[in-house]
Amino acid sequence: MSALLQRLAPGWLCLALTLGSLGAAQSYTVAVIPKGTTHEFWQSIHAGAVKAQREFAGKGIPVEVIWKGPLREDDRDQQIQVVENFMARHVSAIVLAPLDEQALVRPVHYATEASVPVVIMDSALKSSDYVSFVATDNYKGGQLAGEEMVKLLGGRGNVILLRYAVGSASTEAREAGFLDTLKKYPAIHVLSSDQHAGATRELAYQTSQNLLNRFGHEVNGVFCPSEPTTIAMTKALRDFGLAGGKVKMIGFDAGSQSVVDLQHGDVQALVVQNPLRMGYLAVTTAVEHLQGQKVERRIDTGVWVVTAQNMNQPEIHELLYPPLAEYLK
Amino acid sequence: MSSSAENPKWPLPRLGSLEPLQPDLAPAGRPLRVPRPTRRLLNFAGPCLGLLLVVGLFSLSPTVRPYFLTGANFKIILTQTVIVATGTLGMTLVIISGGIDLSVGSVVALASVVGALALSHGTSPWLAVGLSLAVGVLIGLLNGAVIGGLGMMPFIVTLGMMGIARGLAKWLSGNQTIDTANSPLNALMDLRDPTRLFPLPTGVWLLLGLAVVMAVVMRRTVFGRYIFAIGSNEAAARLCGIRVQWQKVVIYTVAGLFFGLAGLMQLSRLTQGDPTVAIGLELDVIAAVVIGGASLNGGVGSIFGSLIGALTMAVLRNGSNQMGWPTYMQEIIIGTVIIIAVGLDKLRQRRR
Repeated sequence: MSALLQRLAPGWLCLALTLGSLGAAQSYTVAVIPKGTTHEFWQSIHAGAVKAQREFAGKGIPVEVIWKGPLREDDRDQQIQVVENFMARHVSAIVLAPLDEQALVRPVHYATEASVPVVIMDSALKSSDYVSFVATDNYKGGQLAGEEMVKLLGGRGNVILLRYAVGSASTEAREAGFLDTLKKYPAIHVLSSDQHAGATRELAYQTSQNLLNRFGHEVNGVFCPSEPTTIAMTKALRDFGLAGGKVKMIGFDAGSQSVVDLQHGDVQALVVQNPLRMGYLAVTTAVEHLQGQKVERRIDTGVWVVTAQNMNQPEIHELLYPPLAEYLK
Repeated sequence: MSSSAENPKWPLPRLGSLEPLQPDLAPAGRPLRVPRPTRRLLNFAGPCLGLLLVVGLFSLSPTVRPYFLTGANFKIILTQTVIVATGTLGMTLVIISGGIDLSVGSVVALASVVGALALSHGTSPWLAVGLSLAVGVLIGLLNGAVIGGLGMMPFIVTLGMMGIARGLAKWLSGNQTIDTANSPLNALMDLRDPTRLFPLPTGVWLLLGLAVVMAVVMRRTVFGRYIFAIGSNEAAARLCGIRVQWQKVVIYTVAGLFFGLAGLMQLSRLTQGDPTVAIGLELDVIAAVVIGGASLNGGVGSIFGSLIGALTMAVLRNGSNQMGWPTYMQEIIIGTVIIIAVGLDKLRQRRR
């Protein structure tokens, strides 16, 4: 039975293609698999994917983008399942932000083997079975945060690093970049760099409160390598009366709450990526690969330090206020 | 269902309950029971019906059908079911005995971490297997000893153990995932050729074999019948001379063994020991057992039903992914299916 259906599958596909494209070159289905769906960062990626889809549609190339995160936000096994399920569905290509650099290696390998090419975005994968890796240079982002911290503290003081989640390559690179930069400044002392906040805001909030309860009286600066940790830590700083510049706070990503906190002076600097561009370039790269074009193996989507001083420059402004409504409504 | 007897006044013992403990109390001379084969068929058909319904649902879509109804896809679904299904082998025992075990997810994480640690220290894979299983057994033994020995509520004891095992996993692993990229154990859950149904991963065969063994244990052995007896009426079981406390220790220990095995499968699937994996897995496992026709009041349930329950949830997830339904729809649908499945089961029992 299943063999029969399998044999019929190409027939169905052809039918769908002829009906769908009406003579246009080729139509593609691209599954975009983020790490989660609730954070604004991923919504910007989604917007970027939709932007790519619209541009291709404008050129007469129909691209269907399926946006599908794991059922539980930070569950590696669930994300593996999503990759496998799209592989079985024979989508044209998969764009994946792997929750783990190791755990997703095998599913990506099999997807490639089943001739579903995979573009990796945001976070690295310990493998070479992908078409292209489209991401921020996260280590550089961490370095920028470290340099900004040194500047804010005048080269001396006590610092806390609140880590994000275990096994997330992108945030681990930021953490490493930050710590490596601080090592060059002996007068800067790291009070705590071994606490992982976990992926949700609530968990991050609790960890932040606990850390400030312990170190609040001696800390001068805090770095958080992700959106949920930044928002949670800023909230905790306010609880402890340490916000507004008493403790220098550097965050990552331009969540709308973080941007408000930056305006109010509770956050001194944000290291900002360009997720919209990342989603856009990842889908574009996948489709270009499907069309037989040669694509770059590594595509850097850029990273910037945003402070209250430069936040109103037009190019920075667009990073802080990505035009989500334009694409996601 | 039309063949059911005319309203008996008392709830009848369902298939699988220990009959001597529930004497027929209906007036004499009335035909009381649905013929045994029919009841067996009903119990068998109930969970299967749900599964078929779900498979049918996704087969309706012309864009998904050609990929959904393929051997390759069912291989993937089966592989995705294995971890939850292995958990249900243990959980079915516990739930039939009238208990509950909330520590599954944490034990899976702990066992996977212990296995990964052993492998990363260069031990033989068999020792890693042994250690993972031993962790499961040990936690199960502790659960059982406290529940049986001190007569504490299983919900509370295993809730506590859920935290303890999760904490241990994070502690042992130093809050890190432990990569075992080159371990031979990874073959257990390897899809091998993703384009065809066979060869199935070893883990699937292992699960099927163990399921058969456990089904026989539940139906044909004294231990199995005792579990039903304890779940049906613990006081009566005690009065009949069953050493209930001791049985509980054994039940939770055997369950722990399966949770350890599930952890091993998780290790193989992720190719790493992950202290944060399988959070909330216990709810999936309990849901699978309940969809499979078990009652949280104890005394009712079957290994086969639980497997079908686990498969139903995996098919739902697989199909929802392939349809491109958003994640929140998936959660709503799975929640609805759980309630409907249990509702139907209640209805079936009442009619009979």
